[in-house]
Amino acid sequence: MTEPIERGPHPRMAPIVPERSVAGRTLMFLIAIMTFLSGVTLGGVVLVQKSAIAWSSDVGREVTIQIKPIEGEVMESNLRLAVSLAQQTPGVASARALSLEESQNLLKPWLGDGLDLSTLEIPRLVAVQLSDPQDADIAKLQNDLQSIKGASLDTHAAWRQQLNTMAGAIVVTGLLVLALIVIATVLAIIFATRGTMATNREIVDVLHFIGASNRFIAGEFQGRFLIIGFRGGIVGGLAAILFFVLVSIFAGSSGGGNVGAEFGTLFGRFAIGYDGAAGIAAVVPVIAAMTAITSRMTVRRFLSQTS
Amino acid sequence: MIEFSNVGLRYGQGPEILKDLTFRIEPGSFHFLTGPSGSGKTSLLKLLLLSLKPTRGTVNMFDQDVTNLDQDGLLAMRRHIGIVFQEFRLLSHLTTFENVALPLRVLGQPESQYRSNVEELLEWVGLGERMHAHPALLSGGEKQRAAIARAVIARPDILLADEPTGNLDPDLSLRLVTLFAELNRTGTTIILATHELALLDSFEFPRMVLEDGELVFHD
Repeated sequence: MTEPIERGPHPRMAPIVPERSVAGRTLMFLIAIMTFLSGVTLGGVVLVQKSAIAWSSDVGREVTIQIKPIEGEVMESNLRLAVSLAQQTPGVASARALSLEESQNLLKPWLGDGLDLSTLEIPRLVAVQLSDPQDADIAKLQNDLQSIKGASLDTHAAWRQQLNTMAGAIVVTGLLVLALIVIATVLAIIFATRGTMATNREIVDVLHFIGASNRFIAGEFQGRFLIIGFRGGIVGGLAAILFFVLVSIFAGSSGGGNVGAEFGTLFGRFAIGYDGAAGIAAVVPVIAAMTAITSRMTVRRFLSQTS
Repeated sequence: MIEFSNVGLRYGQGPEILKDLTFRIEPGSFHFLTGPSGSGKTSLLKLLLLSLKPTRGTVNMFDQDVTNLDQDGLLAMRRHIGIVFQEFRLLSHLTTFENVALPLRVLGQPESQYRSNVEELLEWVGLGERMHAHPALLSGGEKQRAAIARAVIARPDILLADEPTGNLDPDLSLRLVTLFAELNRTGTTIILATHELALLDSFEFPRMVLEDGELVFHD
């Protein structure tokens, strides 16, 4: 009889497919990069769309009455009449005539400082804020303004149209880039999976000899690839969120000067917000699942070819 | 249990490696498979392991024609067969215990269910103290005993061994074949391929001798 043998506690069973391999690390790195690119593209799309909606909404809440100087007309009287007509229009919250100095300031970016504009007859503006752009009776205001010589109404419709078209084009381009990244990721996973399978050919052969089904073997490899996909996805997703946080901080820190103001005007606070971050976070499980499914299909194909 | 009828095997368009093999292996028997290098021993073992299909003839196992089985059928049949290789083929990242338990893990059994069986078998083959060691730390003899334990843990009806003592010294070879003989006494049908004459002479088991692809039985 054999003597009793002192055995240590059983450590946790090691996975059948080893956790660490060169191919696995390469694949994780690749997935991290692809997730980062997907996250940045998705974040960029969200950013552009949010900014376009916000800008379009701001611009849409305001119309401008322009009164050109005409000989024989009293500008100040026309301005008061325009303000009064605007205030009587349904859907208008407020109307305010811009002072001469404010009007001159608007020209400074084009004409520069140091130019005496007092001798120049410049058109005057009335800024009209709408309480509800949908219900505002713009047609009535346009009709009423015909009683003032030289007056015209600018609803910024052309600008909004242009902005929406541009934002739409950027969003579509972003989604196209996202689709290309997904295709590139799938192809890369297929190559990496085949490489991993070739590296682990001995394991596959032994499993076949001891009676493992292709389904079992594929499941073992799929589990490994799912973990690799998750790890790579989390690293890439966090890097993408960090990227937007850093850009947001950078954009905020340069807010004092003209550059900051232009950034702010164009992109708001350059922040993708919680929904944008949630969108990037959602990329992680999608990439992980895509990795698992793609690798499973590749493994099954590999096994059916080799068994 | 195993019945070959006019079985022939060729690789691609090459010459026939195995010619007109017709024989029957009874349950619980022990056969040495021998012959010079290149005589087709490994090819015959591959036919027996169902990893090759004959180019002609029929192979019956457990009263079933296995020549036209689909993937699932082959898999189910292969679970009745254990295999031991000359080069051990243990997975290097798994411990001895994990390597031996692998066939049961593949069958979906939980560790709690098979742990004591694996430990008992490892003790029986003399590896009780080495169950947590990885293959790199085992000697040639220990590796082969682990490989034998892995081959029999799922209680196969047939155990095939392809030159299992090829990498071992004569003393260890004798002890290992004794281990196979003990397994045979528990009812396992064994076909052990070897070309070591000293080993063949040490045991009185019938021999299947392959020469130029033809098989002759010697009792």
